[in-house]
Formats: sequence, structure tokens, C-alpha cells
Amino acid sequence: MAINVKVIKEGLLRLAPLILLIYICISEFHTQFYYWKIFSFNLQFIILYYWILRDPSILGYGFVFLCGIINDVILSLPLGTSSLSYLFVSLVAAYVRNATVRSTLFTDWFTFIIAILGGNMLTYFLIQNFTEMRTEYVSVFYDSMFTFILYPFFWGIFELYKRFIGLRIYD
Amino acid sequence: MATSRDDFGIAIRSALLQRGAKQKFSLFVLILISIVIFAIDNTQVKPVKVLRSLINDSIYRVSAISSSPIRFTSATKNFFVKHVFIYEENEQLKSEIAELKKKKFDTSYLETENKQLQEIVELDQKLAFMTVGAKIMLDKNSPYLNSAIINKGSNSKIKLGMPVLSKGHLIGRIVEVNYMSSRILLLNDLNSKIPVVISPSGDQAILSGVGQLKPSLEYLPDNFYPKDNNLVYTSGKDGVLIPGISIGQALMEDDRIKVKLFTDPTQIFLVNVVLEQQTDLEAM
Repeated sequence: MAINVKVIKEGLLRLAPLILLIYICISEFHTQFYYWKIFSFNLQFIILYYWILRDPSILGYGFVFLCGIINDVILSLPLGTSSLSYLFVSLVAAYVRNATVRSTLFTDWFTFIIAILGGNMLTYFLIQNFTEMRTEYVSVFYDSMFTFILYPFFWGIFELYKRFIGLRIYD
Repeated sequence: MATSRDDFGIAIRSALLQRGAKQKFSLFVLILISIVIFAIDNTQVKPVKVLRSLINDSIYRVSAISSSPIRFTSATKNFFVKHVFIYEENEQLKSEIAELKKKKFDTSYLETENKQLQEIVELDQKLAFMTVGAKIMLDKNSPYLNSAIINKGSNSKIKLGMPVLSKGHLIGRIVEVNYMSSRILLLNDLNSKIPVVISPSGDQAILSGVGQLKPSLEYLPDNFYPKDNNLVYTSGKDGVLIPGISIGQALMEDDRIKVKLFTDPTQIFLVNVVLEQQTDLEAM
């Protein structure tokens, strides 16, 4: 019985990043953190990039796709828009994981630029060309910039969490 | 150089196709599925619309429940902030009341005069609206969207394009209708464009959302400069919105003519969707 409790606890701790990702997609997190006309950041990108790069067993690609669909419904975007952008971020993270031998905060951080810019540009391109919605490029730029700036902060939190739950580093 | 290109090819192929120990799908397959779903959703075929409507309804409900802790935190913060500034607000309100009392006498005279004039020209008096009340389930204010989701849909006879009021003032229009929920496109959204008329000058303009709290006025006459008494109403020129719904007050800000909305779009909770217009007699 004691073993079962331990297994469940470990399982829940491993599931926490996935639960957080689903929660911020389904709740109003992204829209609640939109201050001073410019400040917003994409926590989904940060979670996806970090965990797929560091431990891909935590976040399944299927769940990434599902979170994208949920986000599209919440933000009234055509279905598949966010999924494509999230999968692009996952692709960059998976590529960096395959191409690098040992990653550090700085290698992660600077390769994250490609993921953010690619992901946001993909969303912007799809919205501008395939829907009647209009978005401001400047807003998307600020969103990308703050996501990039805040990455080291969340990197630190996730590193601590990873040590806390005793995951091995995937390299 | 060739080796470096090979390495890139191998790494990208591996990232796209490799499923790994705990992955059930490869990235390549999921990207393909996303593209297919995106294409199908853009076709706007009726069965797809119905399916999307069902998905929307269910996800909105779950979202409303799951985002309640965030909403509670936000409401608590607003509550405390309001209390901090309550003294200052009280003083301001006192002076406003005094001013309004003064204006009341003038208004009473003007009302009587207006009634007499209307009787003279025998205007068709259409003032009241038949509305359906709804509650805001989710409100979205992001770089991509300024919209709100309400808990009434086609089951309450709500249709696309219907105007939405809060405290009697226009806040937006319906842009998405599901069976049990609808989405309001708020006036401050980038995609919102509404024909308006400015009182008392009667100038026509387009109220255009700029993604900020105050939408701006476009296509105004060249010599137009906003004054204190310039109020903005719907003109109904598009043939969709009912004319004469109050919107806000025109003002100059950042070298642009903007409109301070009578109802703050970030503070709405209960709204009325205008189903149709009624005559005075029907309303009575």
C-alpha cells in the first residue's frame, strides 16, 4: 500500500508540468496577464520548450496538440493554429536536444529565440492570411520579447522543481 | 560543410519522426493532422460549424470553472484598490452630484420641449429594445483578442451581429453563436468597426477598435475637434445595428480622436443582447 502511494505521488509530480500547461490553456491565464497595453507573455511556449528539451517523457506531443486545440477554442482562432505553433516550438526543442551534447541555460535561452519567433510568426501568418481577424504586429513582438526575457526566470523554477522530484537530466 | 548539412538533416529528421519511449505520436504526424484540421475548420461547412459549436460550448464551460480562482484573485485585488481610492472618489462624486442637480432642471425643460416638437413632426418613436439578459462567463483581453463569452446562445434566439448592451450602453456585438454560449466582439477590439453619429453636431464616423481601452473615431470631417458635450451614438448606417444606442464621449488623446466608453469593457459582468427593436406602445 505504501508503495502505491509513493508511485501515485511520483506520478502526480511528474504530471504537474502537463497539468499546468493544460490549465493555462483552458483558463484565462494568457489574457489575465496583459498589462500596461504591452506586457503579456506566452507561458505555454516556455513550458513546452523547457520540458521537451530537458525531459520529453514529461510532455507527450499528443497533449501538446490537444492543448493547442483548447487554446484555439478559448481565443476563437481557427482550430489547428495554436497546435501548429506549439508543435513548431516542440520541433525546435527536439532538434536542439538531438543536436547538442550538453545544454546550458544560455544555449537553451538563445535557441529559444528561434522557437518563439517561429511559433508567433506562424500564428500571425495564419491569422492574417486565413481569417478575417486583424492583429497588431507590435503586440505579437512585445509578447515574444517578454516571453524571451522571462525564460531564465522560469528555467530556474523548473530546474528547482526537477531536482525536487528527482528527474534525471536528459542528455 | 556537407557534413554539417548532413548533421542538420539527421537531427531534424530525428526530431520530426522519432517517437521516443513515451511518445505515442511523432511530431510529423501531429503537424499534418493540425494542417488538416486547420483547412477543414476554414471551409466553414455546416457540419464542421456544428461540431465546432459543440466543442466551443463544452470547453467554455470547463474554462469558466477552471478560471474562477484567477477571476477571484483579480476581483479581490480590484476590491482593495477601489477601497484605497474611495475617499478621493467620494469627493469627486459629491461635486458631480451638485453639477448634475443643476443640469436636471435644464433637462426637464428640454424634455418637455422635445416631446412637443416630436408631436409636431409626428416622429416614429422607437426607443425601447427587446433584450435577453446574459452573464459573462469568460472575458478575453489579449494581444490577439478583446472579446467576452456569455452564457446564452441560439437557445435564447441570439443571432450573429446583434448589439450587446451593458447598463444601457453599447459594448459590442455578437460574432459567434453556439447553442448555449456566444462570443461578443468588444468595441475596443482591433476588428471592431461600427458606424456612429456624433451628437450634437451630427457628424458621421466609424468607431474603430485599436486594441486599447478607448476606441478611436475614423473618417471624421477634416475640421472636427471634440468638445466636452460630444457624445457618440450608433448611426445604424450599416443596417445591422439599431440607431441611437449610446456608446461614449469623444475626446482628444495622443493626437487621436478617441471615445471614452460609458461602460468599461474590462468591468462588465451582466449584459443585454438586443433581440429586436420595439415601438413605445409595444414596450409599454
